[in-house]
Amino acid sequence: MAEENQQSDYVTLVSNDGFEFKVQRSAACIAGAIKKMLDPSNNFVEARENRCHFESINGIVLEKVCEYLYYAEKHKDAKDVPDMDLPPELCLELLMAADFLNC
Amino acid sequence: MRYGQGINGDDVDFESVWKTLDTAFTQIHDHNASSLSYEELYRFAYRLVLKKQGEKLYDKVKAFESTWLREKIRPQILGKLSPSLQSAPQDGVGAGAAATTNERREAGEKFLREVKDSWQNHVVCMNMLADVLMYMDRVYCTDNRKPNIYATAMNLFRDCNLFSPTGSDPRSPSVLGVLNGVILDQIQMERAGDVIDKSIIKSCIYMLDGLYESNSESSEQKLYSTSFEQDFLNVSREFYRDEGEKLLRESDAGGYCERTMARLKEEQYRCRTMLSDTTTPKIEKVVEEELIKNKIQEVIEMESGVRFMIDNERLEELGLVYQLEARVDEKKSELTKAIQLRVVEMGTAVNEAATTTAVPGQLPPEQAPKDAEAPANKPGNPQTAAAIKWVADVLELKDKFDAILNHSFQKDTGVAAALTRSFSEFINSAAFTRASEFISLFIDDNMKKGIRDKTETEIDQVLLKAITLVRYVQNKDMFEGYYKKHLTKRLLQKKSLSMDVEKDMVSRMKIELGHQFTQKMEGMFKDMNTSDDLTRNYQDYLQSTGSEDPKRVGLDMMVLTSMTWPPLGEDNEKKFIFPSEIDRLRKSFEKFYGEKHSGRKLTWLPHLGTADMRVRFGKMHEVNIPTYGMVILLLFNDVPSGEYLSYEEIQAKTNMPDADLIRNLQQIAVSKKTQFLKKEPMGREVNPSDKFCVNEKFQSKFLKLKVGIITNNNRVETDQEKRETEDKMEQHRGITVEAAIVRIMKSRKQLSHQQLILDTLDQVKAQFKPDVNMIKKRIESLIDREYLERLEESNPPAYKYLA
Repeated sequence: MAEENQQSDYVTLVSNDGFEFKVQRSAACIAGAIKKMLDPSNNFVEARENRCHFESINGIVLEKVCEYLYYAEKHKDAKDVPDMDLPPELCLELLMAADFLNC
Repeated sequence: MRYGQGINGDDVDFESVWKTLDTAFTQIHDHNASSLSYEELYRFAYRLVLKKQGEKLYDKVKAFESTWLREKIRPQILGKLSPSLQSAPQDGVGAGAAATTNERREAGEKFLREVKDSWQNHVVCMNMLADVLMYMDRVYCTDNRKPNIYATAMNLFRDCNLFSPTGSDPRSPSVLGVLNGVILDQIQMERAGDVIDKSIIKSCIYMLDGLYESNSESSEQKLYSTSFEQDFLNVSREFYRDEGEKLLRESDAGGYCERTMARLKEEQYRCRTMLSDTTTPKIEKVVEEELIKNKIQEVIEMESGVRFMIDNERLEELGLVYQLEARVDEKKSELTKAIQLRVVEMGTAVNEAATTTAVPGQLPPEQAPKDAEAPANKPGNPQTAAAIKWVADVLELKDKFDAILNHSFQKDTGVAAALTRSFSEFINSAAFTRASEFISLFIDDNMKKGIRDKTETEIDQVLLKAITLVRYVQNKDMFEGYYKKHLTKRLLQKKSLSMDVEKDMVSRMKIELGHQFTQKMEGMFKDMNTSDDLTRNYQDYLQSTGSEDPKRVGLDMMVLTSMTWPPLGEDNEKKFIFPSEIDRLRKSFEKFYGEKHSGRKLTWLPHLGTADMRVRFGKMHEVNIPTYGMVILLLFNDVPSGEYLSYEEIQAKTNMPDADLIRNLQQIAVSKKTQFLKKEPMGREVNPSDKFCVNEKFQSKFLKLKVGIITNNNRVETDQEKRETEDKMEQHRGITVEAAIVRIMKSRKQLSHQQLILDTLDQVKAQFKPDVNMIKKRIESLIDREYLERLEESNPPAYKYLA
């Protein structure tokens, strides 16, 4: 099973209100917590199912998080990257999610 | 904003949350984590930290790990401890008490495997825990400067397991002690030839390398270096000390070296594959000290030691000795000492062999030089043969040691210099004073016969060897003297096979010994050349002046600069009466020469010349004969057949010195092949009372005859001749020293005694090694002659130059 996991390019991130986001594994692993979560050597349930359920993050925030993950991956090696556009009303929640996910 | 409100805002009940985590951790340690949700555990830990419960959580986790390690793991490890293992480390090498090696090895492997497994499990579990507790590490530990949970747990493993006593008695050896002991025991088994499981040991070592003595993680504090490595080195030192003794007793020097080399490789390999690279230099040092440094002298002096190896051409073994000693002593002093000793020993033997045969007592009277041409490879007499043999032996010795140097000692410059010193030592030893003479004779022999039929490269080799030997000679002036003497004879008698080789040799000496050394010799070559030209010009001159007459005697002369050539014999021109034909010739040439070079004085040296003449005894013979011999024969032209000339008459008519007259008469009146005269009475010796007449019955089947000159061969000097040479040398040295002193004082004006001696030694050392006493005497003599003056009030004593 572990081998299967390694091969899958996409993982599913699930919000506490039931939204599912299929995200490229490489992008998802930008977040430190998600990376550990999916680490096949630890073999937690998330790693086996390629599915991460976040009890503390809602769909709107998670969507923005996913957007950020892709954005971050795209500009991984670039310098002088312009800031990502964030709606001010989400700022606080995004901040807490970032702290939680270590990204 | 980390501690803000919102989705994580609710208060948490620590106990209930911890309970969940506690269960989950237990599952993780039981390898039963696949049903756990990382997100959940992470979220719990996250919230506890967020709610400022970080410290509590941290301590709880620590307590959990301690309990786990103490209660689950430690008993497992102790369970694999059999009594044989506990005894092994204390007893050290090979004394496993009751247990056989085999049992001990297996028990040891079990124990090591258990340690290794529990360690590896611990690492895996702690990685998972650390991942789950990532937020705690990130926030709580960083803020409060605590080591992260992973490092803490590693230290717990050390404290709860490795540092714990093996028995109930707290003073019983710790697990770590036993572990070290077991690993060492296994290594000893491997040294003794057993096969052990290296991977287990490697894992255990890896563990020790990853742990630290205390909680501060400095690299010197690694458990590997603080506990294991030192034990390892101590045990190894003891082992190799014993092994060294054993090897000395049981094997020969070559075997010892091979074994030591193998041991070194083995230890290097062991460090690479099982232990740590940082240990390699340390264990090498142990082996080097125990097996090499403390033993090499004994090895070298063994019966099968260096001396044996040299004598039996054991190049490989010598190479081993060299490599081994090079590891501990940059100068290789022991080996060098042994080699030098052997060189001097063998050299002295060569010297003695040469001295016993070579010192000529009395010259063999017949010493037939006219045969000298025929047996080309046999030098004229046994003494010369001994001289040449001495050179050959020395060269052989040199070749032998050069081969050893190149093959075994990697052309080490230090050893090479030592070899040079040793060769120089025996060649110049006070007990053997003929080196210069012998070397010169060797070159002489080669110039006259040796290089015949040789290719250019071979000749080159011979010259090179000769030069090598010359380099060793300390008293270069002595060699110069002999070489000039021998060269003179070769040139005057035209015995050299090739002038090119002669010149080559001299130019080599010039490179080696300097311009001054060869100046005279080059002058000699130059004289030879100008003489050839002069002979030709003289002939042209005769033709042009029309003084050609059929009865004229041809002249082929050599004009030698008196300063350049060594003394060529006493000047008896005044007394000697030239026959009229020859005297005319002499005058004619003197006239010719005087026209060309006014102001030069020619001195004739008839005793060195030869003449070609025709004699008729039944048939015509062409005879090559010394000038003196010719003169004697010419006298008989005027004597009616059958009449005698007495010795005294001959002497009165020629005014020839007695010695020369006797020698020449012996050749033409006694020697059978050229017995042109008859002596009355018959007999070998020529006495002043003898009478001579033409030997009418003389016949020979050869058209060409050669009357030899007795003294024409270069040979070893008799003791008396040698003393004369040395006396002359001594005089010459005195002059050289005086010249040096004056040169120095002239430029310095004033100089202390000590400094003057040093400078003088320095100036003349290229030519010879002077005696300090001689220098002192020379200074005295210069003071007497008012070249120098003592500075009265000076202390230390000093001199002043008087212009």
